[in-house]
Amino acid sequence: LLSLVAGTTSPRSGRVRVLDGEPTEARIRPQIGYVPLQAILPDAMRVTEVLATASAIRREPGQPPADRLRALGVEGLASRLVSSLSREEARAVALAEAATSSRVRVLLVEEPFVSMDPRAATRLRQVLQEKALGGAAVVVATASELADDHTFLRDGAVMAQATSWGATAALPPNGVRLHIFSSEARALAAALACEGGVEAVVRRDASVLVRGRDATELARAAARAIVTSGAGVTEMGFDPPAPEEARAAAAALNGEGKAP
Amino acid sequence: VIAPLTRLPLLRMLRTSRASFALGGWLTSAVAFAVASRWVGAPPSADRILLNAVGPIVLPLLAYALAGAALGGRSLASSTAAVVALGAQPARAALATLGVVAMACAAAGGLFSALVAVTAHGASDPPVARDAFASAYAGSLGGAAYATWFAMGATFGKRGGGRLVFLVVDWAVGASNGAGALLSPRGHVRNLFGGAPPVDLPERASAGLLVALALACALIATRRAR
Repeated sequence: LLSLVAGTTSPRSGRVRVLDGEPTEARIRPQIGYVPLQAILPDAMRVTEVLATASAIRREPGQPPADRLRALGVEGLASRLVSSLSREEARAVALAEAATSSRVRVLLVEEPFVSMDPRAATRLRQVLQEKALGGAAVVVATASELADDHTFLRDGAVMAQATSWGATAALPPNGVRLHIFSSEARALAAALACEGGVEAVVRRDASVLVRGRDATELARAAARAIVTSGAGVTEMGFDPPAPEEARAAAAALNGEGKAP
Repeated sequence: VIAPLTRLPLLRMLRTSRASFALGGWLTSAVAFAVASRWVGAPPSADRILLNAVGPIVLPLLAYALAGAALGGRSLASSTAAVVALGAQPARAALATLGVVAMACAAAGGLFSALVAVTAHGASDPPVARDAFASAYAGSLGGAAYATWFAMGATFGKRGGGRLVFLVVDWAVGASNGAGALLSPRGHVRNLFGGAPPVDLPERASAGLLVALALACALIATRRAR
């Protein structure tokens, strides 16, 4: 979805409109900042040269590179060659470039806390909020509690929209909820988000709440995610349905019983 | 907007060993061919070295290596993906990369050819200054044509492996004097260096066709890199 909005992937059918235009248009593209999991930066350049080149391409006034990197606490990377950066550092630089650009009006970030430089991760929430407050649309695909507005997608269709993760996790009705307490809740939540059969993931401190339709499928997905993430698990169990859910399920069963 | 897009391919050539090794290696080879020609039995002749060594070997392989260095060993689209991610138009980024590769290959091809013309200059050759200028002109034109030829090749294959295929095609197709040689740089470069022309074309026509070939390759490569 993010790559469609960024214009790096073409839709099979239909059109994508961003900022009153196609994302591939010459006037639109510089206004979109996209930070995928595998950030691509110009390999032969130093970080300062990347920022200068980006400013020239986006046609924005140049800012001191150290200031831009300082926003995410990675000013120490300024003189480094991009080819010497780790994946986490490269993502931090890409995010610093997009978030501090005065031209970027749509910022797309894929799983901001995954593969992110730890220095940047601590300031990330504030930087994204400042960007949003500055008038930019900040779209984040994440399994963490980060956004103000949440859109729940399934097979490319919008299933629900909510203003809190808790509400999103409760959708759709008639599903099951599994809670997991883990020392690596963030990594576990990210791994769960990639699993099929998982409809929503909520992380709060050391606990992760997962929502799915089928209990067996959800348990299998959780087991796979635990192995993938390598997270230690202290407790795991299914949550009882909320009273309103139980009432809805009972009503549905009664309705079925009365049907001819 | 094009100028900042030239930085990446330029820095790739300046900061990676691939380009400097290619330049150093082929410069040494070209001069070695020229010097060696003075020691073998036949009288020294710049034309012979340009025709048998620089045209068919040094120029294409040098352009192949420089194009590879500027593209970072990737396909044309992949090599420009980083600047596209910063907001550049893919076609412009590809055009900027093509421009840098063509300029570098033209400069290196011209310089190498002129150097060989001076080093291997023989009694039967035209005056040295005129010969060096003519050789530089042919080398530059050939270098630029080969640069765009290989850049177009780099639009095929996941990692730009089409570049190698285009090298083989040029070698095979350009070796003859038939109509097939019109479609690749080798036959025209041979003609400009005083060798057998493809389908009896005059040198001026070969020069024009090299320019047309370079423009066509650049156009196709730019369109394919979108």
